Amino acid sequence: MSLIFTDDQKSLAQTVKRFVADRTPLPKVREVIGGDRSYDPEVWAGLAGTLGLAGLTIPEEYGGAGATHADLSAALRELGAGLVPSPLLACVLAAGTLVALDDEEVNRKLLPRLAEGHVVGTLAVSEPGNRQWIPARPATSAVRSGGGFALSGTKVAVLNGAEAELLLVQAAGPEGTGVYLVERPADGLTVAKDDGVDPTRGTATVTFDGTAARLVAGDAAAALDHVADLANLAIASEQSGAMGACLAMTTEFAKIRYTFGQPIGAYQGVKHKLADMYNLWALSDAALREATRAADEEPAKLGAAAAAARALTSQGYLASAKNTMLLHGGIGFTWEHDAHFFYKNAIAGNVLAGDADYQLDRLADKLGI
Amino acid sequence: MTSIDEFRARARAWLEQNAKPFDEAAGHDGEGTSVPLEESKRFQKALWEAGFAGITWPKEYGGQGLGAEELIAFNQEAADFELPTGPFVIGLGMPGPTILELGTEEQKRRHLPPMLRGEEIWCQLFSEPSAGSDVASLQTTATRTETGWVVNGQKVWTSGAQYSDFGAILARTDPTVPKHKGITMFIVDMHHPGVTVRPLVVATGHAPFNEVFFDNVEVPADAVIGEVDKGWDAAVVMLRNERVAIGAGGRARTNALGYDSLLEAARTRGLESDPAIRRRLALLYARESALTAYGRVLHEETTAGIQIGARGSAAKLAGAELALWAADLAQDILGSDLALGSADLDRVVAAVVGAPGGAVAGGTNEIQRNIVGERVLGLPKDPGVDRNTPFNQLKLSR
Ligand SMILES: Cc1cc2nc3c(=O)[nH]c(=O)nc-3n(C[C@H](O)[C@H](O)[C@H](O)COP(=O)(O)OP(=O)(O)OC[C@H]3O[C@@H](n4cnc5c(N)ncnc54)[C@H](O)[C@@H]3O)c2cc1C
Ligand SMILES: Cc1cc2nc3c(=O)[nH]c(=O)nc-3n(C[C@H](O)[C@H](O)[C@H](O)COP(=O)(O)OP(=O)(O)OC[C@H]3O[C@@H](n4cnc5c(N)ncnc54)[C@H](O)[C@@H]3O)c2cc1C
Repeated sequence: MSLIFTDDQKSLAQTVKRFVADRTPLPKVREVIGGDRSYDPEVWAGLAGTLGLAGLTIPEEYGGAGATHADLSAALRELGAGLVPSPLLACVLAAGTLVALDDEEVNRKLLPRLAEGHVVGTLAVSEPGNRQWIPARPATSAVRSGGGFALSGTKVAVLNGAEAELLLVQAAGPEGTGVYLVERPADGLTVAKDDGVDPTRGTATVTFDGTAARLVAGDAAAALDHVADLANLAIASEQSGAMGACLAMTTEFAKIRYTFGQPIGAYQGVKHKLADMYNLWALSDAALREATRAADEEPAKLGAAAAAARALTSQGYLASAKNTMLLHGGIGFTWEHDAHFFYKNAIAGNVLAGDADYQLDRLADKLGI
Repeated sequence: MTSIDEFRARARAWLEQNAKPFDEAAGHDGEGTSVPLEESKRFQKALWEAGFAGITWPKEYGGQGLGAEELIAFNQEAADFELPTGPFVIGLGMPGPTILELGTEEQKRRHLPPMLRGEEIWCQLFSEPSAGSDVASLQTTATRTETGWVVNGQKVWTSGAQYSDFGAILARTDPTVPKHKGITMFIVDMHHPGVTVRPLVVATGHAPFNEVFFDNVEVPADAVIGEVDKGWDAAVVMLRNERVAIGAGGRARTNALGYDSLLEAARTRGLESDPAIRRRLALLYARESALTAYGRVLHEETTAGIQIGARGSAAKLAGAELALWAADLAQDILGSDLALGSADLDRVVAAVVGAPGGAVAGGTNEIQRNIVGERVLGLPKDPGVDRNTPFNQLKLSR
């Protein structure tokens, strides 16, 4: 397979782009993030149901579309470009975890619901005081209780933790580290929404205190390692889209904003920064294409390729979003302008599911350094 | 096996039979000048006979008529070997594709096959002492005669002129119009008695390029590439090809500042587990892979008929920036070993010292940023006073 987009991917991207422009343009995003939900349920219904994004990469036997990672990536680029708040990332990671664990009974029951977007699922792995996105030895514990298990501990930075009805929780159990399923409502479960820097991304701290859970059968370590790759692909896709949006917005501004009798884009102080933004975007996007290609046809190369792409998009997006603010001058520093939303999204995205050092360490591990 | 896999296997087998595997320990100068010219020519001929030269060029001009996929497959396999093809890189990367695009049928039939077979070597005669970044300010002239043209002037930084048979030269054919409008590109015979080539030594101590003097050098009328006074358009085509050729490099074990080489250097010094070095090596790998992938995207788009426009400049800029960045990493890994010198480090030292050259050759980083800004992003041109002024009224460096 090649690194250039297929006609199907182009048309999917076009459809999502149109949806974003019609249903959730940035002025609308502002209204949503000013409210108390982290996303607009109607927009989510459109994304998940009408556009079929929730089930895009879920296998057909479980009610999904069985599409490729490159397809999903094409759609996520557009959502990233629009800073669209949605639980899609959380759901993709939850479904990816289940598919990788491969507990037939759980999959039959949950994947079709996730595929339809009728239920929001999320992954709860990170813990307070531990910089590893997925802790090697979680402090959260699972003990046998009745026919199932009871969870105790705290998970942080849980994507859409406030809205998710299905939580997949990494915990240390009697037979080692496993992934446990908690279905809301549940007793002994406290959720505190984070007041994070990025208002477009809802996260929460989730505390378990003897919460009833079931063990999802399967190799938890291997499944979570694979999910780290999926997270890298998905976040890198959003970041690549957002970088493209920053570049387009700033380029446009540089053509119409005049100082000293010239558009500012005529000055190298501005032009060269935009050229560097172009390169950051173009090269990290190429690395992302290589990573989705690996995911779809050469899984042995996925780990390194996904970590490489993500290391580049996280850093590149941060630099681009910062320059977007700078090159807009005074207006770029105002609340009214969108630049700061991208900057905040880049700051949060830089640490989400593993910060830059984590990705480089992961890449080094995958390369066998 | 698909036809690509078959092609790849055939390439691998041929390379294993005919090329030298890359050997870390052996001494290299990184510029391929240590191999005798005759050996390079023999190798290029064998490469062509085996069907691996001019992979994407049309069959009627000696090429293989294949696509980007095959080219990429061959380059990936070749990355593990030491190919003595240095002298042909310019001809096949720049004048060749330009003649393919703009040349007459006769020029294509006369020049392309010998270029592919390694029989004739080409150089690019653009830069002059006072016209580098601003090539269009060039002062070498070509004046009409009854049978063609006569060229006078001086070129500089001409890579490979010392062994070239032909050159693609830009000369001013009309000084009374603005600078971009009075230039023509010609094919010039480097063996003409009026051509004098003098080597120039560079920072690494080698002499890969030259100054070239033209003293009443006659060229026939049919040596014009493209049209008379449209040489700037031809130059843009050639520079676009140059930048793709330079930028699309990517991962090769032979790259002294590449991931494989610097990882090896770190291992030898027990530094590969130092957390900071380890992360920078990982980032080097990431940046190198991104550059390779970007080159591949450009190749695939070209094959699919999508115009890549000036995006080769983005690749060229990225490659130069990466080499400069890797040169710093090499210094941090090697420390005093690099500064004080050691036999196993000759090629790394040459590459560290040579990295700035790569950021100047083929257009400096500043110029590439201008091109990306203006021709890829569509930003307004730099304020300039010389676009509409006749050439003979311009201020030039002395
Ligand atoms: C926090 C804050 C407090 C402020 N307080 C005051 C105040 O108290 N009083 C007051 O009068 N103003 C104040 N300002 C305004 C400030 O001085 C201007 O925002 C600033 O001078 C930039 O002007 P601008 O916003 O019009 O941007 P522009 O001039 O439009 O610049 C946009 C971008 O183009 C770049 N640019 C413009 N021209 C060139 C060129 N020739 N070469 C290269 N790059 C160029 C700029 O560097 C910038 O990145 C404040 C601004 C901020 C952010
Ligand atoms: C290893 C090597 C091989 C080469 N091989 C060839 C060859 O085979 N054939 C050939 O024709 N040429 C060749 N060159 C020449 C090369 O193309 C020129 O050196 C290059 O284009 C720069 O021109 P210059 O040296 O005149 O520098 P200048 O143009 O004088 O530039 C000096 C500095 O000013 C900066 N600058 C100039 N104009 C601007 C501007 N408008 N905005 C911002 N910054 C600017 C440049 O970026 C540079 O940093 C080679 C050069 C090298 C180093």
